[in-house]
Amino acid sequence: MKHLSEEELIEHHYGEGNSGAARHLEVCTQCAEAYAALGHDLAQLQALETPARNALYGEQVWHSLASSLPAYAMRRRRWPRVGLWKAVDYAAVCALLVLGAFLAGRQWQQKKSPLSAARNDSQSRQHVVLVVLGDHLDRSERLLVELKHVDASSSDTLSPMREEAMNLLASNRECLQSAAQIDDPVLAKSLDQLGRVLAELVNEPGGVSGSTITRLHNEMNTDGLLFEIRVLRSRVPDRQPGGVIQSNGGTI
Amino acid sequence: MGESDQAAIRAILSGDKEAYGALVVRHSQSLFRVAFRITGNEADADEVVQEAFLRGYRQLESFQLRSSFGTWIYRIAVHCALDRIGSRKVEDPGRIAPGTDSDPMDLPLADEAAGPERLLLSREIGEMQENAMHSLTPIERTAFVLRHMEDLTTEEIASALSIAPNAAKQAVFRAVQKLRLRLAALRVNV
Repeated sequence: MKHLSEEELIEHHYGEGNSGAARHLEVCTQCAEAYAALGHDLAQLQALETPARNALYGEQVWHSLASSLPAYAMRRRRWPRVGLWKAVDYAAVCALLVLGAFLAGRQWQQKKSPLSAARNDSQSRQHVVLVVLGDHLDRSERLLVELKHVDASSSDTLSPMREEAMNLLASNRECLQSAAQIDDPVLAKSLDQLGRVLAELVNEPGGVSGSTITRLHNEMNTDGLLFEIRVLRSRVPDRQPGGVIQSNGGTI
Repeated sequence: MGESDQAAIRAILSGDKEAYGALVVRHSQSLFRVAFRITGNEADADEVVQEAFLRGYRQLESFQLRSSFGTWIYRIAVHCALDRIGSRKVEDPGRIAPGTDSDPMDLPLADEAAGPERLLLSREIGEMQENAMHSLTPIERTAFVLRHMEDLTTEEIASALSIAPNAAKQAVFRAVQKLRLRLAALRVNV
């Protein structure tokens, strides 16, 4: 008969042994005696009596700590930035995908018709820029309209607005770069002002509130900005169902 | 996790620092108990409690709201206590393992006397137990306290100490073997 090891006895004592140990202890006197001795020893090892702590102990601990803990609110400005960088990351990935698709298409076009490659390259680039810009201005216009008519007391509408502003802030940077590339100072100026409004919405400590919206109306003239965005949007050609770009003229 | 703990954590992360006070008040006693059992020292246990809540506050952003805050902060306290007895051993080896060089047979003999003598004997037994506990390594001591006094399972001990379950089991085994050896004198003479 194979006797139980000390490890098996200890495991069994703490209720983690297998059922074979229990059966063995019933029939093996030697192991049963060893097990009883182990139980006796462990029973002597009682926990030290924990010194009493009065009912105010928790309060005392808190008072000793409170002054050294910075409020999380002080760090909150970091969080939108983290979210912002995430949005920028997404935007960069999207831009890479668009660029990859564009380059793949160009390669294909070069093989097909080398003479028309330059013309197609320019058209494709313009097409991408206009689509992105048009979409950005559409979304910005919607946000500014919401900002104008929002129920400032409802957090249900203010919270999504802040998220949308965060996304728009990332794409606004891309569009600003495009505006610089095509040398359109009017567009760049409006996008710059839009960026400041979006940044205010995103970074407002404690979230967007009624007072934030009033301040933006008064200090940053969001109604005037909305008008500018609408004018700019009207200059951006719409994509026709067939994919043909129809320009309305203007500097874009 | 209790709804109140969850609500408090949300409030803290939204900037309401004072909400952490409620969590400290609610969990201080249980943290002190385990900290005292591991460190065996009242002053150290107080410091462990403070350090655990401090670490907990700093790491609160990483806390998963689906988990139990009580369990989470308890594990932090176990780590703090483990760190403390580990550093104590480095700073003052004599303090952590008093009497480790003495022969177990040198332990005072007991008789069947009652009254004050019996109380004195009980105190001496308690001191011998504590000395025996100090002869364990920090991991062995902590694993044994969690198993024998806090009634944690091997899995829970492994999780609290961030070690493999088998390592936790072995730590408990080694602790029991060492303690039995050191307390053999009690079994014979008391």
